[in-house]
Amino acid sequence: MIALGRRERRGSRLGVGESRATVIALGTVAWLIGMLWIFPVAWTVLTSFKTEQDASAQTFHNGLTVARYSDVSHSTTGTLSLSTAFTNSLVIVLVSTIIVMLLALPAAYALAIRPVPKWRDVLFFFISTKFLPIVASIFPIYVYAQKWNLIGTRTILIVLYIAMNLPLAIWMTRSFFSEVPRELIEAAEIDGTSLFNQLRSVILPIAAPGIAATALLCVIFAWNEYFYAIQLNFAGASTMPQWVIGNVSTRGNFLAKLSAASMIACLPVILAGWAAQKRMIRGLSMGALK
Amino acid sequence: MTAAEATLRGRVGDPFSSPWRRRLPLLPALVFTIAITQLPFLVSIYYSFTNLKDRTQSIIPEPTKFVGIDNYKAIFNDPFFRQAMWTSVKMTVLAVVLSLVFGTLFALLLDRKFFGQGIVRTLLITPFLLMPVVAALIWKQQMFSSLFGILDKVLAFLGLNSVAWISDHPLASIVTVLVWQWTPFMMLIMLAGLQSQPSDILEAAGVDGATPLGIFRQLTLPHLRRYLELGALLGSIYIVQAFDAIDVMTGGGPGSTNIPYFVYQESIGGGFRYGSASAYAIVVVIFSIIIATFSLRVLSGLLKDEERA
Amino acid sequence: MASVEYDAATRLYPGTATPAVNELNLSIADGELLVLVGPSGSGKSTALRMLAGLEPLDEGKILIGGKDVSAVRPRDRDIAMVFQSYALYPQLDVAANMGFALKQQGVPKEERKQRVLEAAKLLDLEPYLDRKPRNLSGGQRQRVAMGRAIVRHPQVYLMDEPLSNLDAKLRVQTRTELVELQQRLAVTTVYVTHDQVEAMTMGHRVAVLRDGYLQQVDAPGTLYHSPANLFVAGFIGSPAMNTLPVPATGPLRIAGTEVGIADDLGGERATVGFRPETVIIGDGPIAARIRIVEDLGSEVFVHLVLDHDGEERRVVAKVDAPFVGSAGDNVRVKLHGTVHLFDTAEVRRTSVTL
Repeated sequence: MIALGRRERRGSRLGVGESRATVIALGTVAWLIGMLWIFPVAWTVLTSFKTEQDASAQTFHNGLTVARYSDVSHSTTGTLSLSTAFTNSLVIVLVSTIIVMLLALPAAYALAIRPVPKWRDVLFFFISTKFLPIVASIFPIYVYAQKWNLIGTRTILIVLYIAMNLPLAIWMTRSFFSEVPRELIEAAEIDGTSLFNQLRSVILPIAAPGIAATALLCVIFAWNEYFYAIQLNFAGASTMPQWVIGNVSTRGNFLAKLSAASMIACLPVILAGWAAQKRMIRGLSMGALK
Repeated sequence: MTAAEATLRGRVGDPFSSPWRRRLPLLPALVFTIAITQLPFLVSIYYSFTNLKDRTQSIIPEPTKFVGIDNYKAIFNDPFFRQAMWTSVKMTVLAVVLSLVFGTLFALLLDRKFFGQGIVRTLLITPFLLMPVVAALIWKQQMFSSLFGILDKVLAFLGLNSVAWISDHPLASIVTVLVWQWTPFMMLIMLAGLQSQPSDILEAAGVDGATPLGIFRQLTLPHLRRYLELGALLGSIYIVQAFDAIDVMTGGGPGSTNIPYFVYQESIGGGFRYGSASAYAIVVVIFSIIIATFSLRVLSGLLKDEERA
Repeated sequence: MASVEYDAATRLYPGTATPAVNELNLSIADGELLVLVGPSGSGKSTALRMLAGLEPLDEGKILIGGKDVSAVRPRDRDIAMVFQSYALYPQLDVAANMGFALKQQGVPKEERKQRVLEAAKLLDLEPYLDRKPRNLSGGQRQRVAMGRAIVRHPQVYLMDEPLSNLDAKLRVQTRTELVELQQRLAVTTVYVTHDQVEAMTMGHRVAVLRDGYLQQVDAPGTLYHSPANLFVAGFIGSPAMNTLPVPATGPLRIAGTEVGIADDLGGERATVGFRPETVIIGDGPIAARIRIVEDLGSEVFVHLVLDHDGEERRVVAKVDAPFVGSAGDNVRVKLHGTVHLFDTAEVRRTSVTL
């Protein structure tokens, strides 16, 4: 059953009777909760603009400065350079996400549009690969990566991130595809279009928000991934999470510097997430679960 | 009926879809997944039957030999493993349940128009976008730290004693960070659930005399059940693997070591006993399969609902 | 059971320039079945929802049983509503759906069961009481929606196009059942539809709405024979009334034949209207050519073309079966019956009987 959404649904939901006072009160509560929830992040952002003295003592005596950001951006010997880590992360995340989508879209087609028999079992198999703790397989992976000279390369991480994100991508894309109206597929079949063209002109335009949401999730998980990176990477091929940890110093107090580093590392994904949040919700409500 | 059912029925006289042609688009993803995830798993099974160790770590290197099920026997007598299992269960259940509860509450709050609704939503989802290591660092140093932390400073301001948050309450600290990060994820799923409820049903309930609380209890909650299940399933899959927060905040330790961290410590995290670590991992996998069979029922329920809806 | 009154009720959606419902004045008697009809965008659904309390009033008020309910919440208005999409609660079975409102009121379980059973008997729903909505056909769902409303004994029933999702045959059948039911229960009912046939066959009175304004409210027969304006004349009746432009003053000629004198109908141009049954084919002063013949068995609609004021105009005639004639034939036509005259503002001024 399709909802007749001809009026603005949310807001004074039941027309007459939901009092102004209630709306304002609930809105205020929501604001309070939002501020509380973001507080740790907000405070860290603030700290990143302080001097180290202030940071440790949680005071404001010396005013605000961007010095920490420049400290952290310039590479010094012995530490990882920001530009190297950033480039590595960018390449790894983009390449792995693109390949994930290239693999997931046809797979979702084979599970939703022209489904194989036992598609549910196949779907379960993909999800079940995430039940295996990655710590379990890390050693064999390490051994073989070493054998094939892949330690410390971008390739090994790209491959592993694809395996990491593929089940989620297939799951989500499949349910977005299942939202495409049957008649459109039938019309395309009658017209004799190939799989590729069907995808391009019929399915993708409709499922686009959902696919964008899926790709965004893959980007988030890949960019933020820490374990594989730490275990299989070093020096030249390190990624942003490693770069951030590299700024954790056991000698002395470098809280402000670490805050600045953290913010730089997280910023791309934060911005992407902010920009796409409406699409994410729309995508999720459209079809992550019908 | 869904595209799936209709096409399955239309197999006769459907000249374009031989079974193999249908399977073709699936193969690349399938082959890749099997290669990258199953092969290491098989190798782990092999290792678990050996006494493989990192030879550089011991003075008298032992030759690697086949030890049958010795590793597995040792596991049954290992109290630390049991403790890690129990910690894993506690950590996962607490984090998933709490983030579901908070996520649902926040979704209910956000499911209406008020001034700056978009901004509040943006603020709420931000923790989910952070790197888990950064989130852990923020809480470790800005919030929980005895030296710099805000919480202790506030307590001092109120004249109370400071609390050694992480040392005294390692599990709670980790669960806090996990809940902080995953509540937005649950909130998004629950928001999707709330917005997918047809408005005319809510109106009909209003006309039929139900109070807002009554509507929530009798109509909205049952409708949200599928979304709660999805959130719990996806959340558990990711939270049970939690590693970064533990590594950053407590470095292991009795109260906060979950299974992934335990296995890590046994293998490349310090123990270098790869044979025995593999055995632990296999046992964990067996447990996971058991739990997975249970969640398969949930999953099938989700997928069946989709067909009938 | 109660009367309903709209008193200058107005609804203006925020951000729009014209009100969806504009100063509606309408009195509905206790026990009456009043139909709100009009094209989409006419405001009929909005007016219904205002009565339900699902839309707030921007101006004016609404009274139920003499009481001003403009600020009262839907659940306190003692009304029952049948939605176009039925809005059945998906997780509850039929019995629970029908008993939902009673449960909210705190009616004890036994009594609830009893009343649900009564309503189910009335609507032939007994075999389905434990089924969920998704396992019911469209017609069954519609009846459950009805059952949910009638089990309540409210003051007013509201129905928002309850038949439009049914197939044609079922619609006609359910229509008569509905009318009988309403007569039996004798509860004030406000019924919204876009289908003028439904409106004409069901209502004690019919209110025609257009762009938020009430055009006319009368018994169906009156609407048909004495439409207040050109819009009502064209909306009610199928096939639609034939209309031709005529000068506002001077002798009135239809296709060259004089039918009377126009007494300054105001402005430059006016309109003359006559229903298909007034067009008689056989002999007569007007020359016409047949375009299409629609044979419905009991009656025949003949689409004609004639020359009026130098232009080709299309006119429909309704004749009894059997009809001899086919497309392309030239025939003679005369008018016999009521001819309406509408002035420049489209208001009906006079009617002439030929």
